Amino acid sequence: MEFDLAYLAAQRPALMRGLWLTIQVSALSIGLSVAVGLCGAAIRVLQVPVLDKIVVAYVEFIRNTPLLAQLFFIFYGLPGLGLKLSLFWSGVLSLTLWAGAYQIENIRGGLETVGKGLREAAFSLGLSPWRFFRLIAAPMAVRVGLPSMLNTSISLLKNSSYLQAIGLAELTFVAIDRISMDFRTVEMFAAICVIYLALVLTLSFFASRLEYRLNTPFRT
Amino acid sequence: MTKTISAGRIALSALAGLGFAFHAEAQSLPPLPEAIKSAGLLKAGVRCDQPPYGYKDETGKFAGVETDMAIQIATWAFGSADKIELTCVTAENRIPQLNGKKVDLLIATLGVTPERARVVDFSKPYRWGGSDILVAKDSPIKKLDDVAGKIVIMLKGSTQAKWFEDTMPKVDNLRLNTASDALQSLKQGRGDAYTHDAATLIVIASKDPSLRLVGEPFAVSDAAVGVRKNEAAWLAYVDAALDRMKAEGLYAKWVEKWIPADIRPFYTDAFTKPKPTAR
Repeated sequence: MEFDLAYLAAQRPALMRGLWLTIQVSALSIGLSVAVGLCGAAIRVLQVPVLDKIVVAYVEFIRNTPLLAQLFFIFYGLPGLGLKLSLFWSGVLSLTLWAGAYQIENIRGGLETVGKGLREAAFSLGLSPWRFFRLIAAPMAVRVGLPSMLNTSISLLKNSSYLQAIGLAELTFVAIDRISMDFRTVEMFAAICVIYLALVLTLSFFASRLEYRLNTPFRT
Repeated sequence: MTKTISAGRIALSALAGLGFAFHAEAQSLPPLPEAIKSAGLLKAGVRCDQPPYGYKDETGKFAGVETDMAIQIATWAFGSADKIELTCVTAENRIPQLNGKKVDLLIATLGVTPERARVVDFSKPYRWGGSDILVAKDSPIKKLDDVAGKIVIMLKGSTQAKWFEDTMPKVDNLRLNTASDALQSLKQGRGDAYTHDAATLIVIASKDPSLRLVGEPFAVSDAAVGVRKNEAAWLAYVDAALDRMKAEGLYAKWVEKWIPADIRPFYTDAFTKPKPTAR
């Protein structure tokens, strides 16, 4: 079977719709997972009683169970417990919870590099733990943790393809759905791989720009 | 070459004599193609979520009429019902599984369509299959046209997905991977209706009093065995095996084995009567 470019051209609108949904769901989940990461890491580092144990349990649970199982639990399991989320929000929730666990560890790793001396100095200047975290620790931690946070974000973007399993019409769904109708396997999978590659490279580009800017004070 | 053929024939006649009613006109199958024979067993793709045609029973064993058809072909081809490697295939991955040579034939509720005929070869049809719609008992959907403006759950790559795309493109749909996902979603109210092969839905409806069939047949098509393109000898073998199943009355036996009496007539008709006319 020859590679049929005309077929791909005809499928462009469907692929673009899928791509747009992939971008929406990933961007939202990346933003939310960073927020989860910041909160979770703050709770861990500031050793908030009870909550810090919950964060540890959450991170361990998410990191040691398959994402697909978590996704099915959210989509098919939660309605049994009285929480029925739409396709889109089931996807966002599962990606956010998954990536959030990793972001907590990424940011916590960054926070570890914030010296004890800085903390004592901040407290002796009368800063509250929260202000210390917001003004001193978090900006430094994010700078150190940025490469690993980018890795997690890239994984999240790629893992958004799991959402095809619950019927969310993102990029991989479009490919699989069209393949099951038209059997243009090579064309479709090649096309979505190229699109994912372009997406990830774009994301990496912006992250490295951000890294460059955050490192401004350290450049000579 | 001639030697292997005659050896095969002798083995087949011995088998036919042992296990089944002996039909002199039905028992001669063409020689097994070398490519299949050299594997030493039959690699068959069957469904695992489509009772009563292909599914897994409570103990996780392959079950159903189409599974028995596959086992029968293995028995005739290799002389033992154990000489088979069954693979679960889904509506969306079955043709890639076949063309990727993971399996050598599909007996997997595969409807004959022109799109599919472009990429695989079909045997003679062995039964027909229609589509139906499953809804909640109290649903306002009473006939096919009532699904306009509703969300219809269907499987990716299914005959129904294609039919709705061509015939009622404006109907909202939720496309999932397996029948169990679809049923779950229907029961959770993620869609208003679930369309699939009537054969599958009849079984579900008979077991679940909270659901009801709409009962208007549409998208009726023949089901056939799928093999890869350009494997004429293998296709001829499969065709002959299907003829032999028919001649020996095996379909009726399997329908009786796998399908409870109260819903059996539909399936008996599907294997023995001509297909009805419908949209």
